[in-house]
Amino acid sequence: MKWQNRSKYIAIPLTILILLFLLFPFFVMISTMLKAGEDVYATPPIWIPRHIEWSNFVTVWTQYDLASYFLASIVIAVGATALNTILCVPAAYAVARLNFVGRKFALYLLLMIEMFSPVIVIISLFKIVTRVGLYDTFASLIIMDALFTVAFNTWMMNGYFKTIPKDIEEAALIDGCTRVQTITKVMLPIAVPGLVTVMIYSFIFAWNEFLFGLSFISSKNKMPLTIALYNFVGRWMTQWQYLCMAALLAIIPVLVLFYLIEKRLVAGLAGGAVKG
Amino acid sequence: MGDATFSLRRRLWNPEARLAYVLMAPTILFLIAFMFYPIVYVFVMSLFKTNKLSQLTTFVGFKNYVTRFKDAEFWQTTVRSLYWTAIGVSVKFLMGMLIAILLNVNYRGRKLARMLFIIPWASSVPISALLWQWVYHPEFGLLNHSLKATGLVANPPIWLGAAVSAFAACVWVDIWAGIPFFALVFLAGMQAIPQELYESAHIDGAGGIRSFFSITLAGLRDLILISTLLSAIWTFNDFNVIFILTRGGPAGATNILTTSVYMSGFTFLKWDSAAVQAVVTFVILSIVSLVYARFYFKRERF
Repeated sequence: MKWQNRSKYIAIPLTILILLFLLFPFFVMISTMLKAGEDVYATPPIWIPRHIEWSNFVTVWTQYDLASYFLASIVIAVGATALNTILCVPAAYAVARLNFVGRKFALYLLLMIEMFSPVIVIISLFKIVTRVGLYDTFASLIIMDALFTVAFNTWMMNGYFKTIPKDIEEAALIDGCTRVQTITKVMLPIAVPGLVTVMIYSFIFAWNEFLFGLSFISSKNKMPLTIALYNFVGRWMTQWQYLCMAALLAIIPVLVLFYLIEKRLVAGLAGGAVKG
Repeated sequence: MGDATFSLRRRLWNPEARLAYVLMAPTILFLIAFMFYPIVYVFVMSLFKTNKLSQLTTFVGFKNYVTRFKDAEFWQTTVRSLYWTAIGVSVKFLMGMLIAILLNVNYRGRKLARMLFIIPWASSVPISALLWQWVYHPEFGLLNHSLKATGLVANPPIWLGAAVSAFAACVWVDIWAGIPFFALVFLAGMQAIPQELYESAHIDGAGGIRSFFSITLAGLRDLILISTLLSAIWTFNDFNVIFILTRGGPAGATNILTTSVYMSGFTFLKWDSAAVQAVVTFVILSIVSLVYARFYFKRERF
């Protein structure tokens, strides 16, 4: 249509302008991460480094133990994803496929819990975690991260299971599969895209988590990336070039993962009003 | 009568229901231990005086609530939480809508633009907040430098240093991270609206603005409600942005309920006060969540 053709001449410049505005902190990050110390603290500040300090990339790994924080984040995120999956898949199958009293209530409750804020229970959880000896362990963060994604993921998996026609499952039951076998051998293979989505979602959640790491972890070798980078700021003078370098490296994994699931995530959140 | 009891038992306890309970048991136990029990506990704690080690000392009933409700600072924090949410959600909504409209125009490179717009949402919020702290740096930060160099603002504020600008700076980072959600949801909704509707409206002589209101917005009605409620919950719940940028300062100017709960407990060791505020947060959040859940259920069939 004609107006569609013309409207792009407004849309494109406006899009570029808004993008420049919204991506500003990332331009700052990229500008800072390869600067030498004197360029970071130049007055007036400069956008383009006078010389590119490639060694910043090495320094964050050698002097600042970035590998240890990455490892901690990976252990926590993988652990949380595993625990979460083990919990949410059977529960999701139950609410999607089985008839029982309280099914609707369970679905309702899941949706409510999905909205729950960790801050409300952080005091109680802190007491529980210290009392059972989980303070300053990976296990504490694995449990909490799984906890705060289990409702959403059960909800999402329930949606995926429901899209699978009942006939397929009934055929398997007639062929002599048990209920549990129909889940593992029939339902899960079909629901793989859904399974991948919820797994990535819990991984990202755990990777980005801040409050529990802040409250439950004190040893340096157990700190996840978010907490390590937070602690990095404010002690003496922050070396922002290293922080920006580390920030980029810490963001890349979740950026990639997020792009894989964003469409399904939006569809799940908006409640079937849009299709993923 | 005997039949009814029999069928009720059959409904509660048949092979299928049994299997369902077994499959859900781990998740339910997990949620009871780490979510329901903690809620009950925080409520119990709010009825006691606590010592610095967060142990319950004496039962005082609702006295902690009375103390909080008489405290002007508590009301300031609560009201700030509400307008933090109101401002945050409205700006996210409007910018998200604008971006969705722009992305709904057909041109080459639209997919790339969409990918770039997602970055603030896809990026880790705590890490983005740290980057913003550097962006806002009064002396060496590139924001103030750019504002001055381009002549947009001759005397930019020390963003995180004064009450009003710190609030603006914090709420902006929260907005910034939340815009892409609205943009993506609205874009998905717009693309689901049949093109013929616009064509026939065009033939009927409706202009761009008329068809935007009567076709686009009308078509997005349910999505608008759901995404606004969701965004309101998330914005109200935000803790990371404020804690990382200002820890509620300067002088409490950016303190909202979530940060206040945390600081009252973990920083000032006033656990009973923290518990009261946590309960208040819980009540407010539950009301909005209930509206969201009800609405969600109305449109989905089970």
